Amino acid sequence: MVTIVLNKYSLLGKLKITEDQLDNLLFNLKSEVKPIDENNIEVEINADRLDLLSSDGIARAIKGLLERELGEAKYEVVNTDYKLIVNNVRTRPFALAAIVYNSKIDLQELIQFQEKLHATIGRKRKKVAIGIHDLKKIDSKIIEYKEIPLSYRFVPLNGSIELTISEVIERTEQGKLYGHISISNGVSPAILQDNGQILSVPPIINSDKTKLDQSTRDFFIDVTGTSFEAVVQTLDLIVSNLAEAGGTIGKVKVETPMNSESLYSPLLTHKTQTVKVDYINKILGVNLSEEDSCKHIMRMRMDCKAESEHIRVIVPQYRIDILNEIDLVEDISMSIGYNNLEPSKYVPTNYGTYDYMTLVERKIRELSIGGNFVEIFNFVLTKDTKLLEGNYVKILNPISEEYNAVRNSLIPILLDFISKNQHARFPVRIFEIGDVVVQNDHSDTGFINDRRIAYAIMDSKVSYEDIQAPVHYILKSLGIEAYYKETKSEIFIEGRVASIMYNKEIIGIIGEIHPSVLRKFDIEYPTVIAELYLTKIAEKLKS
Amino acid sequence: MLSENELKILFFLKNVKKANSVEIAKNTGLSESSVLSLIELLKEKGLVKTEVIYQKYYALTEEGSRRKEKGLPEDILISILNGKEKELNEIKNLMGNDFNIAISWAKKKGLIEIEGGKIIPKVKTYTSSEYYALNNIDQADKNTIQLLQRRGLIEEKERKIVIVELIREPAENEIGISNLSRDLIVSGAWEKFKFRKYNVEAFPPYYTISKKHYFKEFLEKVKDIMINLGFKEINTGYIEMEFYNFDLLFQPQDHPAREIHDSFSVEGSGKIEDKELLNNVKQIHEKFWKYKWRQDITLRLMLRSQTTATTARVLASKPKIPIKTFTLGKVFRPDAIDATHLIEFHQLDGLIIDNNFTFRDLLGVLKEIFYRLGIKEIKFKPAYFPFTEPSVEVYGYLEKLGWVEMCGAGLLRPEIMSAVGIDSVAGAWGMGIERLAMSFLNINDIRLLYSTNIDYIRNVKIRIE
Repeated sequence: MVTIVLNKYSLLGKLKITEDQLDNLLFNLKSEVKPIDENNIEVEINADRLDLLSSDGIARAIKGLLERELGEAKYEVVNTDYKLIVNNVRTRPFALAAIVYNSKIDLQELIQFQEKLHATIGRKRKKVAIGIHDLKKIDSKIIEYKEIPLSYRFVPLNGSIELTISEVIERTEQGKLYGHISISNGVSPAILQDNGQILSVPPIINSDKTKLDQSTRDFFIDVTGTSFEAVVQTLDLIVSNLAEAGGTIGKVKVETPMNSESLYSPLLTHKTQTVKVDYINKILGVNLSEEDSCKHIMRMRMDCKAESEHIRVIVPQYRIDILNEIDLVEDISMSIGYNNLEPSKYVPTNYGTYDYMTLVERKIRELSIGGNFVEIFNFVLTKDTKLLEGNYVKILNPISEEYNAVRNSLIPILLDFISKNQHARFPVRIFEIGDVVVQNDHSDTGFINDRRIAYAIMDSKVSYEDIQAPVHYILKSLGIEAYYKETKSEIFIEGRVASIMYNKEIIGIIGEIHPSVLRKFDIEYPTVIAELYLTKIAEKLKS
Repeated sequence: MLSENELKILFFLKNVKKANSVEIAKNTGLSESSVLSLIELLKEKGLVKTEVIYQKYYALTEEGSRRKEKGLPEDILISILNGKEKELNEIKNLMGNDFNIAISWAKKKGLIEIEGGKIIPKVKTYTSSEYYALNNIDQADKNTIQLLQRRGLIEEKERKIVIVELIREPAENEIGISNLSRDLIVSGAWEKFKFRKYNVEAFPPYYTISKKHYFKEFLEKVKDIMINLGFKEINTGYIEMEFYNFDLLFQPQDHPAREIHDSFSVEGSGKIEDKELLNNVKQIHEKFWKYKWRQDITLRLMLRSQTTATTARVLASKPKIPIKTFTLGKVFRPDAIDATHLIEFHQLDGLIIDNNFTFRDLLGVLKEIFYRLGIKEIKFKPAYFPFTEPSVEVYGYLEKLGWVEMCGAGLLRPEIMSAVGIDSVAGAWGMGIERLAMSFLNINDIRLLYSTNIDYIRNVKIRIE
């Protein structure tokens, strides 16, 4: 989700609709409107509809839904004698440029549009960066894109003195944020006019020379990046929205060392996508005619032609989200309005099935309540230093040291819980069922979830038998005749800890917690704990 | 109302009218100290009058107790001699400290004579009257008592005795049983008494009731709804490969959702046996997203950030069509923890694959699920998810919160279906559960769903539904 802030009255004025109408229309375009203050609204735009990131783009789409304009928005395109020479720039090889004359776009909005494109399709300027200039302030018709040394000097946007590129990286906010992206081997990409004066240093900052102001109507736009596709789309999106604001698109000749043939940008890429009406009806569960379908496509601002076998859609440059015929189906359903599509009555025709583990878990929960243990429910993530033994999964990018590991046993989880409840009325008798994560060579990730159940009792006086008795009879009720074998564990007191056994296999551990472990958790009262390996027990019960 | 022990005393007094506390204790089997306090109670109730007297009595001294046990020294001497003469020294060795006392009293009583270092007994056996007296001081004559006192075997003491006289018989309604016992029932004695009344209106002492966890109960309810709708439950692990969490779901490798701050990564990498599937996914990504797809990225491990990863695994498992599955489990996302955010929470993901499945059918299933969850009013909003088209967000109307976004859904993109080799339409959805649970359980801080305060957990009210 991306949000933009727009002047409500200018948008409503452009469209001559009410605020409620605007809300509803935007809702059907995947967007949501929130009032900010008397004049401004915040509009949430979905990540696929980058064409809606300015009020002009929104107006274009809404005019379609209101049927004031149908089909593709056609803009005036002229050739210019401007030329962009693209040299070999290793870190950001692709660059295109365009001119828009006489666009009445709001300056604030244009900057916001540029920033939102940087954040989305631009992947924070890594993939694509945009420079927008006042055309009148550029002195030459030949513009060059090339690598320049970091000692090159220019006055950065909103600056007053000349700085070297190195100084810009060190001193300006923009330099600190984006300086690392494209600089390598002591050189930086740059857009220059033919006297060598810098216009912009992508993706960091423009030169102050070509700064936009309220009177700017003619724009020069450069787009650079690491993906040709994304550079093309970004430039198409920008010029389309500037043109929607009344501008005329000017084509710039682009010369590259790789291509002998030059191309003219913006490319204004149009794509043909066909779709069968049967397919539309089958997917949506509706019964549209070819004409209906075409009408909906045109309401979504694309040109459409019904042919004998299918309908042919011309996807304009501003609809970069249309990848496939299914995307047209979605546009048609949006044009219809999701809430105008009657949901089919859903009648289940078969029986569902529980995971066997769910059934085991439900039974043992009932028995545990019968054993007078209160059920608790804790996080799966925990702090590594609380885990008491064995391998565990460590999070490489934790957001807090309190949660930097995945639990590999429920015992420390219960101890942590008990530690927080020493002032509660005694005895504290608790249990938890849940997954822990353990290593497993048979799994494709190398780890598996292991379902466990653990019981704990803390009291002023408590001993092994106090926990052994209920656990034994819970297992017995499940048909598990457990027996106990003395074992060793650092967590428990020696001679007061046993493996819980069934058919010669270990199905759990039970005992009195060692005072040194109690102290580690700041627990001041004797505590007994049992942990059962439910995944294993479920296997036994199933066989 | 009279207690059983008070009654015991009254029964005894009924026959004798007057008795002292020592006699009462002996006859009722109660200890002297409890008799004394019970008498006080009876006196307060006006049933008896009492008189305190101080009685002299003789008690054995420490030596007296010893002699009572072992016999007096002169008696022992006579028994050792057994009618024969013996050397003084030999006897001295045998009797130790008691030797002088024995010789002196035996001579005084004319039981022996001493001649030329030998003891000559006059009698063969002897038991002193003092010994009999020690065993039965109450019946000893005055001379013997004096003798015992002189020999330091007894001393005179004084004790408090309460003489109790029954002055009024208890009325019927004063008599009651506090604890009904087996004896009272079997003997039929209960018929003679009334039951003491309790203060039944007083509150009871603290008592813990064990119960299932409120949030787990909600999760189970959600499962039941899905089972009743004919879905099969499936579960997979928390540790997941990016392949199932993202790539198979058509999420490009440079998608913002895959950035470091949007999911938790874990060291290591997984393995995928199905090379064809891997290759299909690579081709689709490169064709549509136009970038160089990397296998090392897809095999990276992470904590799953959506249960759609489980759905992806179902898709990759070459399932038999038609199928309907669901999963309900934890997912993990970095976030600042506060009243509305956690870094781990539950999602419900569902999947239907069927040849004739339509978008309207999907809306119908979602409507039904929400209806059964108790949300009768919903609306659909167009949405964007990388793996579905058309995509829809479901908004539900909650009493306190108004319209709340509850679920993302859609038909799985044909690119995904072709990658897994399924020639059919699939509907899928993912729903966050915590927010729904908060609304149902009337909880306004999400952290309370995982409370670590046992008193809070103990006090949560159970819902009937």
